[in-house]
Amino acid sequence: MTRQVPRASDPKVDTIFGIHPMLNLFNSASFSAENRDPFSARCARRASLLPWLLAMISLVMTSMASSQSLSVQPLKIAGTISSADWEAYRSRFVEDSGRVVDTANGNISHSEGQGYGLLLALAASDRRSFEQILSFTFTELLIRDDGLAVWKWDPGAKPRVTDRNNATDGDLLIAYALAKAAEVWQEPRYTTAAQKIARAIGKNTLGRSGRSLVLLPGADGFGAGDRPDGPVVNLSYWVFEAFPVMAVLAPEYEWNRVWRDGVMLLQQSTAGRVRLPADWLSLQSGLQPKPADGFPPEFGYNSLRIPLYLLRAGMTDLEWLRALKQRWSAENEGVAVVNVVTGQIRERLTDQGYAILQAALACALEGTPVPAALRTFEPSLYYPSTLYLLAKSLLGEKYPQCVSSAAP
Amino acid sequence: MRLVGSAITTAILILGFAAIAQQTGPGGSQPPAGSLPSGSPPANGAQPQVDESALRYFASQGDTRRVNAEIARLRALYPNWTPPSDLSQLSAGGSAPPDPLLERLWNLYREDRIAEVRAAIAERQAADTNWKPPEELVTALETVEARRRLVNASDSGQWQTVLSVATESPSLLTCTNVDVLWRVAEAFARTDQPIRTRDVYTYLLTNCANPAERLATLQKALTLLPEQQVADLLQFERRTGESPDDFSSIRDELARRRVERASLDSKMTASAEDLAAVERLIRNTNEAGPVLILGWYNYHHGNPARALELFKTALDRNGGAKAAEGYAMSLRALERLTDAEAFAYEWRERAPENMKIYLDVATALLSQDPAPRLDARVVARIVPVVTAQRFPDGAQALGWYSYNTQQIRTARDWFRTALGWRPEDEPSAYGLALSTQRLNERAAFNAVVSQWRGRSERIADLADGTNPGSGRRSAPVQPRAEMETAPRPAAARQVAVERIEVEQPLARTEEGVRLRQTQARSTLGRGCAMTRNPTGLSGDAALTRGWCLMEINRPLEAVAAFDQAIATGSGRTREEAAYGKSLAYLRKNLTSEAAIAAAEAPQTRSRQVELGASILTQRALAAYRDKRYVETLLALSERARLVPEQNDLLLIRGWSYFNLGRYKDAEQVFRAVQRTGHSEEASVGLNAIQEATDQVSQ
Repeated sequence: MTRQVPRASDPKVDTIFGIHPMLNLFNSASFSAENRDPFSARCARRASLLPWLLAMISLVMTSMASSQSLSVQPLKIAGTISSADWEAYRSRFVEDSGRVVDTANGNISHSEGQGYGLLLALAASDRRSFEQILSFTFTELLIRDDGLAVWKWDPGAKPRVTDRNNATDGDLLIAYALAKAAEVWQEPRYTTAAQKIARAIGKNTLGRSGRSLVLLPGADGFGAGDRPDGPVVNLSYWVFEAFPVMAVLAPEYEWNRVWRDGVMLLQQSTAGRVRLPADWLSLQSGLQPKPADGFPPEFGYNSLRIPLYLLRAGMTDLEWLRALKQRWSAENEGVAVVNVVTGQIRERLTDQGYAILQAALACALEGTPVPAALRTFEPSLYYPSTLYLLAKSLLGEKYPQCVSSAAP
Repeated sequence: MRLVGSAITTAILILGFAAIAQQTGPGGSQPPAGSLPSGSPPANGAQPQVDESALRYFASQGDTRRVNAEIARLRALYPNWTPPSDLSQLSAGGSAPPDPLLERLWNLYREDRIAEVRAAIAERQAADTNWKPPEELVTALETVEARRRLVNASDSGQWQTVLSVATESPSLLTCTNVDVLWRVAEAFARTDQPIRTRDVYTYLLTNCANPAERLATLQKALTLLPEQQVADLLQFERRTGESPDDFSSIRDELARRRVERASLDSKMTASAEDLAAVERLIRNTNEAGPVLILGWYNYHHGNPARALELFKTALDRNGGAKAAEGYAMSLRALERLTDAEAFAYEWRERAPENMKIYLDVATALLSQDPAPRLDARVVARIVPVVTAQRFPDGAQALGWYSYNTQQIRTARDWFRTALGWRPEDEPSAYGLALSTQRLNERAAFNAVVSQWRGRSERIADLADGTNPGSGRRSAPVQPRAEMETAPRPAAARQVAVERIEVEQPLARTEEGVRLRQTQARSTLGRGCAMTRNPTGLSGDAALTRGWCLMEINRPLEAVAAFDQAIATGSGRTREEAAYGKSLAYLRKNLTSEAAIAAAEAPQTRSRQVELGASILTQRALAAYRDKRYVETLLALSERARLVPEQNDLLLIRGWSYFNLGRYKDAEQVFRAVQRTGHSEEASVGLNAIQEATDQVSQ
């Protein structure tokens, strides 16, 4: 039930990863945000690469035909969660101090949870709670010298911060929620804070792997020089919807590439027999990502979020999502923790918060209405409850037909 | 509030936060309703700057009950604080009806429920977009949040954050927040700005009045600043006034440190005042620390008798191994060697230093001139320690002691042992030459001479007959305590198959291997404990992993890692990996595999010998265990071609002969072992032969 940011540090090994010509294909299909496209300016097309491009197109068309139309469609977020659902969540997982509590993990808190809390408070249009959660986040976690948040806070420890490394997804979520909230509530204080974090993420957590630019899970311990199998990444740290927002906040960094190379990495890591990425991937050995040392080679609690993030970013055309939807359907194995080497299931996940991920896929890809049993929020533990609300917020905003009372 | 303002300015100037000074001009935090604190700021800021914002708010609302409660709270926090005299004016002017929300906000603030204040403000603003929280509440809130961040950052060692928060919130830097000032001072120290650290302390000692906090400031300075700078800060001690300082404990600590430095350096002397301060510490506490310092000071400054007394006191105060070391060293310095040996013997296992002083003392005891009359028990207990520690000086001393007590064979063996442990030990070589000469062992004598002639004049003289034995060493002596125990390698007990297995393999290389393993382990942490497939690791990474696995004693997994290293590594890595792999197999007693592994990459000559010898040893032992005596002998003979056969293996050889019924050969071997001092084990063998042959002849 636990997901942890691991500590790591080991001798350096260099790597090459990524098929460069392919990347240009993604370039041409960058974020197509309707109003302003922060990326189009950055997508310099190089004539010299054109022959390459043409040569590669046929190859890529076959394997990734659908990926050309990848794009991020911005979400509104605010007002997509009912106050009843939010109240059920808030009263269980948010303390008066603004601390979001991971009830399955010894009641610790982490930057990820604070980020989700902010995002969900915004989705519920609850500025009161947003301020509360922000106050805790700001005073207890946003204390690192580099401007990122320490990731782990334990009420039973002294000092409470038990690991001062950051978790990059937490930082992304916090910055993203702040930026979205700043827009909705017209609060420059949030923008300033979001910008600081976005710059810190850009400065400290982007790592090179061959020709790719990847999001390192933490500022320390995951790079090529930090461990023998480094760089090590976690695909579920790519909160795809956040990258265009980061690009506005900190345009000096190549968020477009990070986003693009994340998609590439996902394609590569799902190309194997089992077609599932391990939570923790080593990019050390050339072209093919491998399960990282010291972690179970599992598609686990971390990676469950990948399809959710893809859907939220509107990246529904990825072929892999179809395969995953099939795998997750009730007739097949359902949502589960799976060994990516053997394909064996270690644990079936039946909580509402996991089941709704499959329902959201079925809705987004095939228009299947969300089953009645998943329509009413029954909060259990922090993590699945969070996933549930994130999914529900998306469904409410983008796919109301799947959750409307008219649907069967 | 003016007071706060001026204090801030001072702090800013002193701390060198020039940039902030502009941001927080005098108008930066104007209090409401032109309120001025009663009286003028006391000199030296004897009165802390108390946050009166909540109090003022309640007063302005005419809420006497809350005003009184707040006054009581602030008084409890700041005993020297007096409430401002203008509260009644505020109250009189407060014609507006009290706002219940504001009241709630201030209450939450007072209770330190900051997130809830933020939440309530947001809630109110959502309902009424024109509503703004009072400025002083916002300021108060920001100050509290800044303090929390600063404290949290400092608890997590995020010193840059500490400094940037302090820069952004200079209102924190006042005597009300001494803890914050300390943390800022530490942040300066941790970021290599000791001058700024000193400035913060100076500011604090100049402006803040609480004597306990002032003393604590110097205690902090002791941990962060060079002693001279701490000494400079002592000038701010207030000797008069209502609550004078007492910095004597700081002075004592500085004195103690000076004496401590001088205590280990005979060329440095401590002043009489400093020594007196340490004497005072000894009297006033029950701790061993200062006693030890003075003990060492006396020891290193020519007063071992006083040092002995002090170390005795330190022992009584549970001074432990250090005190024992000093006590033994003082006894030795007083030439009470017998006492020193007896005492040091009891403590030898406590720490490496204690073992060292024991060996030194024992060596000194044996080496006295003229040769001492020693209790046999004393010699008997020195021998196993010297042997186990492989201490060449001790072996040499035992050699001379034996020699001077007419135990020439034993002397010869000890000199030989000493040379085995330290081949360049000329005195031992000389001893060996003398003994072999006395024993008329021509071949052995010639061997020593030919090896040393060029390097030792006295050995050459011995051969040339110009110096027939050293007068001193060969002087006839009274019969002494007989040396019951001749040198005896550590790994010899009974027919010591088990012991040999544990201790024998690669004794010489063990240290190098251990070093590699520990290094690998410290590189990988517990990293290699996780079972996993090494495929895909680079040669070097796999090698490191292999050593790491060896360290946590998982040799078979190490083999897999070494295999990967052999497959992908460079020449040097491959050699190292093949070596590691052999060791891993040896550890599992898989000798054939080890032999194959050793051949997987070219090894240096010395490693070839090591590995070969180890493999053969294990092979011999395994065969012996399985009662395959012919094979045992084969393996031993092969091994003997690589390295000399040690006594424990000779015993195995003897017993193998015995079990094959080759009693003559067995007897020869056991006799040879007996001559080198393994009398017990050898006797067991000889008796067994006796018994067996008696039975045969009957």
